[in-house]
Amino acid sequence: MSTTPAANRKAILVTPEVCIGCRGCQTACKSWNQLPGIPTKNRGSAQNPPDLESNTYNIIRYSELPSENNPVRWLFISRRCMHCDDAGCMKICPAPGALYKTREGAVAFDRDKCIGCRLCVAGCPFDVPRYDKNNKVMKCHLCYDRIAEGLEPACSKACPTGALRFGDRDKLIESARKAGHEKIYGEADLGGLGSIFAFKDAPKIYGYAEKPGIPESVVFWHTVLKPFAVVGLGGAVAAALLHYVIVGPHREEEVQ
Amino acid sequence: MAEMVRKAKTGEIVNHWVLAVSCILLIITGYAFLFQLKQIGALFGGFNAMKAVHNWAGVVFSLSLLATTYSYLSESLHLGPDDREWLRKGGGYLTRDKPVKIPPMGKLNTGQKLYYLAVLLGGIAIAVSGFVIWFWPDGRVIRIVSHLAHNLAFSLFIVAVPVHAYLGSLANPGTFRIMVYGTVPLEFARKKYPKWIEEMKRK
Ligand code: SF4
Ligand code: SF4
Ligand code: SF4
Repeated sequence: MSTTPAANRKAILVTPEVCIGCRGCQTACKSWNQLPGIPTKNRGSAQNPPDLESNTYNIIRYSELPSENNPVRWLFISRRCMHCDDAGCMKICPAPGALYKTREGAVAFDRDKCIGCRLCVAGCPFDVPRYDKNNKVMKCHLCYDRIAEGLEPACSKACPTGALRFGDRDKLIESARKAGHEKIYGEADLGGLGSIFAFKDAPKIYGYAEKPGIPESVVFWHTVLKPFAVVGLGGAVAAALLHYVIVGPHREEEVQ
Repeated sequence: MAEMVRKAKTGEIVNHWVLAVSCILLIITGYAFLFQLKQIGALFGGFNAMKAVHNWAGVVFSLSLLATTYSYLSESLHLGPDDREWLRKGGGYLTRDKPVKIPPMGKLNTGQKLYYLAVLLGGIAIAVSGFVIWFWPDGRVIRIVSHLAHNLAFSLFIVAVPVHAYLGSLANPGTFRIMVYGTVPLEFARKKYPKWIEEMKRK
């Protein structure tokens, strides 16, 4: 159920093994989006802040894993909005236009239309949306403003190694295949993601679910409860009318 | 003029209207959020303003629901053999034979008691989950659970409320006036609420 015309669809291809953990992408994103820096704490890891925040649309996750050849294997993985085709955040959002999809397939947001209900995080399979102090949504928007003008996103532009590559989604997938990645994470999940990953190992090693999905309760709400809201109310009113016509009102009562 | 008996006190009448109006307002705005209905949003001056209306109507509804426990809760919890029989007969609503024959009822009939209990439980669920969504910003899992609870309870209300409104008006001529004046003719009450009239006599 793809909703974005494939021809226009842009994506960012993340190749963790190429990343050197310089966090140029984190800085470039803050700079382009004029997001404030905040004093950080030493938590014993270069991963800082520990997760996405309202002023941090992307982070590099640092993970250390034992490997066969080395005592540690360092993995630097970019974490950001996935720009899902079937986007749970958009599904659950009650405010028209607060989250919307651009021609390029970016899931962008409009802070004036956002009502600050903070429900989108409940619909997102990847726990991405964050909120500022007014409860308005903040997250990566795939630099929709830059890409609409033919520029590439600030983060991928700043990346010195090619760990983040921006381009036509189809072409990126093709080139990752040529580079020997049989499976590309996000190629088909949730109708296809706009952040795709060339993993060498199982996704969970990189901190991603094997099969990401919108929370089941949200899917149930969307496919059952929402239609029921129409059928249930309509049915109740229709039943009352039918009862009035066919059975008729209680005119008198008699105790048995 | 026929002799009247008072079935609802003034405070109860007012509270029932407060409950009804806030409930309908919540249902309308709820539908607008559920289906992103822009026209309804515009009526309230946009979705941001509509959210404020929805939230504060929720506060009014919750307080009003709390107040109903004083009027209806103990009566609604009194369910006995007559109630079983009433249910078996579908409250007399499913037959065209007139006059309908049903077991004697008290101040509230079985359907009203069960409706009240359902609305009370559904109301608690929708209020608690609503306040969690409003005031408990952090925690993804608790938001997922609250969202489901809020919508499940909503499903109950959109079916139960119209049926209740129909049964309290068109389906039972002579009862709607209770919501306005609080009184009914004694003769009417003798037929409709015999156990209640008996009880009052004993007092
Ligand atoms: S990752 Fe989450 S926030 Fe981003 S598009 Fe998908 S559902 Fe929405
Ligand atoms: S917080 Fe804003 S964007 Fe997120 S679901 Fe609510 S209205 Fe939509
Ligand atoms: S695409 Fe733009 S908004 Fe998203 S992480 Fe990169 S720089 Fe930030």
